[in-house]
Amino acid sequence: MIAKNRGTGVGESVPRKEDRRFLNGSGQFVGDIALSHMEDVAFIRSPFAHGLINNIEIPDSLRHSVYCAKDLIDTKSIRAVSNLKGFKPSDQPLLALEKVRYVGELIAACLGATRAEAEDKVDEIYADIDPLPVIVDMLDARKPDAPLIHEDWGDNIFLETRMSARQPEPLLSAPIKVNRKLRMSRQCMAPLEGRGVVAQWDNRLEQLTVYTSTQIPHIVRSGLSECLGLDESSIRVISPDVGGGFGYKGLLLPEEVIVCWLALKRGNPVRWLEDRREALTAAANAREHYYDITLCANQEGEVLSLDAQVHVDAGAYSAYPFTACLEAAQVASILPGPYNIPNYNCKTWSVATNKCGILPYRGVARTGVCYALESMLDLVARSVGKEPFEIRLLNLVKPDQMPFNNITNKHFDSGDYPACLRKAVAAIDLDSVRKQQKDAGATGPMIGVGVSIYNEQAAHGTTVYSGWGIPMIPGYEQAFARFSPDGELEIRVGIQCHGQGTETSLAQIAHEVLGLDIASIKIVHGDTALSPYSTGTWGSRVIVMAGGAVARACEELSSRLCKIGAHLMQSKVSDTYIENGMVKTPARQISIQEVSQTWYRRPQDLPNDVDPGGLEVTAGYKMERDDGTFSYAAHAVVVSIDPELGNVDLMKYVIVEDGGKLINPMIVDGQVCGGAAQGIGTALYEEMPFDENGQPMASTLAEYILPGATEVPDIEVQHMETPSPYSKFGQKGIGEGGAIGSVAAIANAVNDALSPLGVEITETPITPRRILETIAMAKQDGTPGS
Amino acid sequence: MSNHNISLDVNGCLVEASVEPRQSLADFLRENLALTGTHLGCEHGICGACTVFINGVPARSCIARAVSCEGDEIKTIEGFVDDPWMEAIREKFSSEHALQCGFCTPGMLVTAYDITKRIPDADEARIRVELAGNLCRCTGYKGIVNAIKGVLKDQKDVS
Ligand code: FES
Ligand code: FES
Repeated sequence: MIAKNRGTGVGESVPRKEDRRFLNGSGQFVGDIALSHMEDVAFIRSPFAHGLINNIEIPDSLRHSVYCAKDLIDTKSIRAVSNLKGFKPSDQPLLALEKVRYVGELIAACLGATRAEAEDKVDEIYADIDPLPVIVDMLDARKPDAPLIHEDWGDNIFLETRMSARQPEPLLSAPIKVNRKLRMSRQCMAPLEGRGVVAQWDNRLEQLTVYTSTQIPHIVRSGLSECLGLDESSIRVISPDVGGGFGYKGLLLPEEVIVCWLALKRGNPVRWLEDRREALTAAANAREHYYDITLCANQEGEVLSLDAQVHVDAGAYSAYPFTACLEAAQVASILPGPYNIPNYNCKTWSVATNKCGILPYRGVARTGVCYALESMLDLVARSVGKEPFEIRLLNLVKPDQMPFNNITNKHFDSGDYPACLRKAVAAIDLDSVRKQQKDAGATGPMIGVGVSIYNEQAAHGTTVYSGWGIPMIPGYEQAFARFSPDGELEIRVGIQCHGQGTETSLAQIAHEVLGLDIASIKIVHGDTALSPYSTGTWGSRVIVMAGGAVARACEELSSRLCKIGAHLMQSKVSDTYIENGMVKTPARQISIQEVSQTWYRRPQDLPNDVDPGGLEVTAGYKMERDDGTFSYAAHAVVVSIDPELGNVDLMKYVIVEDGGKLINPMIVDGQVCGGAAQGIGTALYEEMPFDENGQPMASTLAEYILPGATEVPDIEVQHMETPSPYSKFGQKGIGEGGAIGSVAAIANAVNDALSPLGVEITETPITPRRILETIAMAKQDGTPGS
Repeated sequence: MSNHNISLDVNGCLVEASVEPRQSLADFLRENLALTGTHLGCEHGICGACTVFINGVPARSCIARAVSCEGDEIKTIEGFVDDPWMEAIREKFSSEHALQCGFCTPGMLVTAYDITKRIPDADEARIRVELAGNLCRCTGYKGIVNAIKGVLKDQKDVS
């Protein structure tokens, strides 16, 4: 068989350049870094969700290897503030001094020659704590007599927001009005690799080198500098290979600060590797939303208004840099989804409770928002007797309205939402599912079908984030690119790649501009000393922002190559161009390598007016409009529920996704399927419950259920490619999408299956217990089917 | 805690060491022998990232104790450097996009090696059941399942 000669530029499914090291087991993760004389840290953590510290009893023998809050002189607590009006900041101590506010909060650090030794010491230390009354539930936190998490606040609200946009004529009555209270449980992001930090002071460079498993090395450096009082130039943050992030590694940890402080204090390298219990319970969780939501519609099913009151449980402290309010603020700004909704009113509360903080997890608020809104649209469909997809077609923004400014002033850049939904409905073969349902007997599995559609603002920049005023506001994204003397191209970017295949897709972009073999293009990332500043990898921004910056840098290099090349070929610069890695004129060509060698090793042959910047450039990039690209997708799923066991089986799962121009379709499919697997976890399995004392109840992977190969079906992915008018190649950010639509589609399918019983589920994850309780409710009520 | 002397075969080399009874095989491989290809995702026997062969059978090295491996033959991802069967699996993992962050990958490869050797006629459903002890948080398993299917198919085409 003759191998297909595949291209390697934009739009090609190029196999990943980074695969080899992982396949050989030679990837280098934080836990793989061993430095001589390194000490391990184990932390003493609060066993209480709320309490006052009386005393920390440390045996004399451990005086020199245990550190408490009072030892941490010259450090600052972590303070992640938003400029949104009314936001109440929380000071997260590095180690708790007087009060603990969640189970797992840090109290002291123990050092040992090995982790086991450090853990042995933890067992010898006793923290004497008087428990205080605990706030576990966000709705209880707002009650007038609720105990206060932060006394000086006067209540337990980080931030309250209101958003209202209405037509001039008031909506007096609507024939259809549906209301529900919907809950999405607390969840863990659970990348397979936990967090970890190795820090070492370098005497020669007078610099602290910090290896940490993070998505945001430059932001971590700023945070460390603020907390430690060290200049940023005295800190180098290296994020080596990172075993998944999904938002969990977009957080400055108190552990990171303490490990750095210990390295400075001890003078030797210090390491902390998070264990799974710490990862599940202590650093941060995600997703806990509660919606009280009302949709009004006319008889046709056209939505007239959307009203919602939304609570987000933000835990005890505001996380750096995304803060405690990003989630709820995003809920308010995106709840209307991809629809044209004329009247909108939304109130949100970011509530403090005695739990660890929350982070934006893949999809951020969109997963909850999509679940809430899409559930309500199904209720409208049921009320007016139409298929759920028909109701959506009535209300979706139409392609001829693009670009479209929606009711919350989001600027949808391009796309055909109705076509996307129709494709998904066709792929799932709705008619045959409906027939199957009719033919099914009263006993046996219950079949249901559900759809959802959403759009996803990605790569949004300054305009959006300056409004939120959080510690990190993305501006121009930069890339550094240079040719080495042998003509190889090295590109350095400030983002961090932890599974997204960016070492390949950015090389494809460089290839697109310069035509060099991608084997000759090296992408360096995740190191503050080597790369330009970047806010890092989050918000599905890399392919648009870093991709744009790489293209700009390569274009600049291209013109410098042409200038030198034209001189060498005795030709006009205007006649010179780059193609397939060669510098060409109509008559002649020379290799990029030749030009590189001239710049570095034969400067006597350069033109007099050569750009003295040579063959290295740093270029900055912003989109023409920086409020983001809007990718979108429809999910369609068929479920079968076992009424005896309560299991939900995903019989068919289709996603139709539009990510604009795809740089590497294989990688995109991987992101979509991987995201959907996480969405399936959110929908059916993953939950971090707390008992009434605020104890996290899922502290191992035996209780916190991640979907395995038998839980995730073979997902069918179809594509549409509507380019964004604003990004370099028309690409749109798409990394989070898969995790957004699944919950809504699956919940709708489950409720479709349960509808003959007259009951529905209003809480995720939809576990067997919740299904069986709901079915039992139907039996009690004597509704049909019982 | 008193140490114990053990001798075992790791990737074809005889290793003699003195270990604490509580040390896991995974920590022994990673910390004492610098074989960091074996990853730790949970350290309590659920995720499968630490899967290695013990005497030819896939096992979780995080819940095996080094001290109990006296006389055993251990094979980690580093031990498959020149193994053509593993190379075929690796190539399929790459072409089917069966890895993203690469953290689960060494454990997945060991399990995939076992599945493809032991169950040459495994269909998709069987492959998924066999993979149930290896979690991947990134890929959604599609690429992993397809890679294993691909290896089995190629094998059939050859024979
Ligand atoms: S690390 Fe051994 S099973 Fe998870
Ligand atoms: S590739 Fe990241 S966990 Fe499998």
